[in-house]
Amino acid sequence: MHRRTVEDRIVDTLNISLLVIIALVTMYPFFYLIIVSFNNGLDTSLGGIYFWPRDFTLNNYAKFLSDPKWLMAFGVSGLRTAVGAAVTIFFTCLTAYGLAYRNLVFHKFYFSFFIVAMYMSGGLIPYYVVLRSLGLLNSFAVYIVPGAVTIFFLIIAVSFFREIPAEMEESARIDGASDLTIFFKMILPVSKPLIAAMGLFIGVGQWNSWMDSAYFVNKDSLRTLTYRMMEVINQGMIPTDLASAERAAAITGVTTFSIQVTAMVIAVIPILLVYPFLQKYFVQGIMIGSVKG
Amino acid sequence: MEQLTEINALEETKRLPAVKRSIWREIVKQKYAHMFILTGMLIVFVFHYLPMFGILMAFEDYSISSGIKGIFTSEWVGLKYFKEFVSAYNFNLIVTNTLAISLLKLLFTFPMPILLAIMFNEVRHQLFKRFAQTVSYFPHFISWVVVSGLLVIFLSTNSGIVNDLLKGLGLTEKSLPFLSSPNYFWGLAVTTAMWKEAGWWAIIFLAAISGLNPSLYDAAEMDGAGRLRRIWHITLPGIRGTIVVVLILAVGSLLGGGLVGSNFEQSYLLGNAMNSERSEILQTYAFKMGLAQGRYAYATAIDLLQSIIAIILVFGSNYLSKKITKNSLF
Repeated sequence: MHRRTVEDRIVDTLNISLLVIIALVTMYPFFYLIIVSFNNGLDTSLGGIYFWPRDFTLNNYAKFLSDPKWLMAFGVSGLRTAVGAAVTIFFTCLTAYGLAYRNLVFHKFYFSFFIVAMYMSGGLIPYYVVLRSLGLLNSFAVYIVPGAVTIFFLIIAVSFFREIPAEMEESARIDGASDLTIFFKMILPVSKPLIAAMGLFIGVGQWNSWMDSAYFVNKDSLRTLTYRMMEVINQGMIPTDLASAERAAAITGVTTFSIQVTAMVIAVIPILLVYPFLQKYFVQGIMIGSVKG
Repeated sequence: MEQLTEINALEETKRLPAVKRSIWREIVKQKYAHMFILTGMLIVFVFHYLPMFGILMAFEDYSISSGIKGIFTSEWVGLKYFKEFVSAYNFNLIVTNTLAISLLKLLFTFPMPILLAIMFNEVRHQLFKRFAQTVSYFPHFISWVVVSGLLVIFLSTNSGIVNDLLKGLGLTEKSLPFLSSPNYFWGLAVTTAMWKEAGWWAIIFLAAISGLNPSLYDAAEMDGAGRLRRIWHITLPGIRGTIVVVLILAVGSLLGGGLVGSNFEQSYLLGNAMNSERSEILQTYAFKMGLAQGRYAYATAIDLLQSIIAIILVFGSNYLSKKITKNSLF
């Protein structure tokens, strides 16, 4: 190997120290959330918890799981994640399969149609008017239907389908298979990596989203987990009467704050769990998505 | 009349040369492909194109009860709402905030991922390199709601860790009101966006760096170039193309917050009555006027102003990119 010069040593030391600091600053907030979620809420409000729970308890989680409001929000978020990912994968792949068709007539027109829609938008209010006219406000469908074809993934899927060897389809066609059969029995099964990647990204997006819940829904039973969190955060930013909350917390040691932190942990954990899988796919995803020029 | 053109069209297909007629045969052969595409187009038409017609509302006395039809039948009022917005008491404030936050983000958050990618690339210990990188892009996948929650916790004036730390180090005597004073908002917006997204965008630059020819580095080393000079003379020029393309993307989406996005989320989630003179931006104002107060036409006009600027930026940066790098997005 090369001999390390003085400059090498200085650069390496500085570089590694800085990166260690960056890693700590990035991870510590999540670590802090986890320890606080396992700590007695009243005890937390005394301050001074930095590295480990001081008064360990599972009460915050028990309270979260027994509070119908939080549990409902958790369910809504979970459901929209699963249904939203499935619906978007299906319609986006279906459209992409058509667009990837060899010698497709009108393909220039079709592509312009989708690309223009990716760059232009009518803005929030006209979008709201459209949703309102379609009766989508205050319905679960508002989380699912508008994003059923996502143009970003459409482009990725088209370039994926184009990589599938033409001979596969042709031999199936000679055997008398229709496009429908080919799409369902052949294209979808060989597209597992694409579907997995789309599922993860769309799933994370669905799980995290709160704006549609804030804009288009005002039914309690349709609120998402992130929306509920936003509510608590908004209240928390302006100091409120702590005394009444603490009286209620006296028995279980669960405070508004400790349950908020617990909800945050519950919102982050699923992402942490799929993170290793996400990682596998997104490098290619970000490349295709942002620098396709 | 319609029938006539139809017949004419039929006649024409008969007379057309074989090549043109075969187009119809192709379409019939490809009928499922076209059906699939039309399904997708229908969805995109309803949720992307229909709202574009809704832009007309900005010039009309629109009432929400008239639905989509009202967009085409409401009374035309011209630039009434634009004039109203321009003469609103907080117009200057909102425009200043929008531009300032966007430009500050471009200025500070654009170089950061490049720097980070170079730092990752200089690490020789592969395991540490992977670990540091993996950690760095985790926050990208976390909702802004959770990030705002973290900020509220960490920046709290009463036993928030950041204030505890600052006081412990003797940097400040009293807790700093990060979230309840307007003075901190711009800095907070830029720093937190950087924290959340720098690692993510470093991926693309790191990919570009790893595509560089290693023999260049060996040759430079032979010539006696140290680490920093190799970074300056090989790494940076080597990824210039990527830097330009990403910069164009960032300029194109400037008002949304550029690469790191999130202007709306930050102002909406972290903005409050106490810091609004620095946190109110076009998007949050339009939201408040429109959905919260029901002034739909007025809000659409504000949205439209912003879209016009955004479109100019997209096309402008694309044009510049074509000129300078021969690279363009469309």
